[in-house]
Amino acid sequence: MKAFQENLKKLEAADTQVLGVSMDSPFANYEFAKQNGVTFPLLGDWNRQATRDYGLLEKRDIQGVPMELGRRATFLIDKSGKIVESQVDSDAVDPTKIVAACERKKMKD
Amino acid sequence: MRKVPLAVIAFIVIAFAGWQVAELNAQAKPASKPLQLKVGDPAPEFTLLAFDGKDIKKVSLQDYRGKKNVALAFYVFAFTGG
Repeated sequence: MKAFQENLKKLEAADTQVLGVSMDSPFANYEFAKQNGVTFPLLGDWNRQATRDYGLLEKRDIQGVPMELGRRATFLIDKSGKIVESQVDSDAVDPTKIVAACERKKMKD
Repeated sequence: MRKVPLAVIAFIVIAFAGWQVAELNAQAKPASKPLQLKVGDPAPEFTLLAFDGKDIKKVSLQDYRGKKNVALAFYVFAFTGG
């Protein structure tokens, strides 16, 4: 999330709202945001529905204990509600590709 | 017995070692599975909760329709870096 915070000005200048999502409670997310200087909203996907709907919920087995974990991913959604760019797993840590896509998009608008 | 040239033996050994390393790498780092959602797909709607220190607020994808692009960043868990 720090990488998004560092690029927040560029993203906002390109008419883009950044929203973080995790399966934590909104209160845990608030503390996390405070500790890391994150100023955009962090949403708590408490019932995992959004993570599931975006195809990011994976069944995993950790030391014999079945778990459902989320994959890291970023989706850039345009004003019409269409996905225009995405990044997944370790690629999703660095938002450069998302920032570039926003800036291209702004020029087209 | 005919001698197999040393270069041929060396080549086979190196090729085999390379193959073994490639196998190990494949096991250690499984190829990233592609996303189910593709560029061009409609983004699934959601309404989630955010806490701003005072109030709990509802945030929906719908709120930004026609107004702003949304960079939706799913992260694994709070406090785990990244």
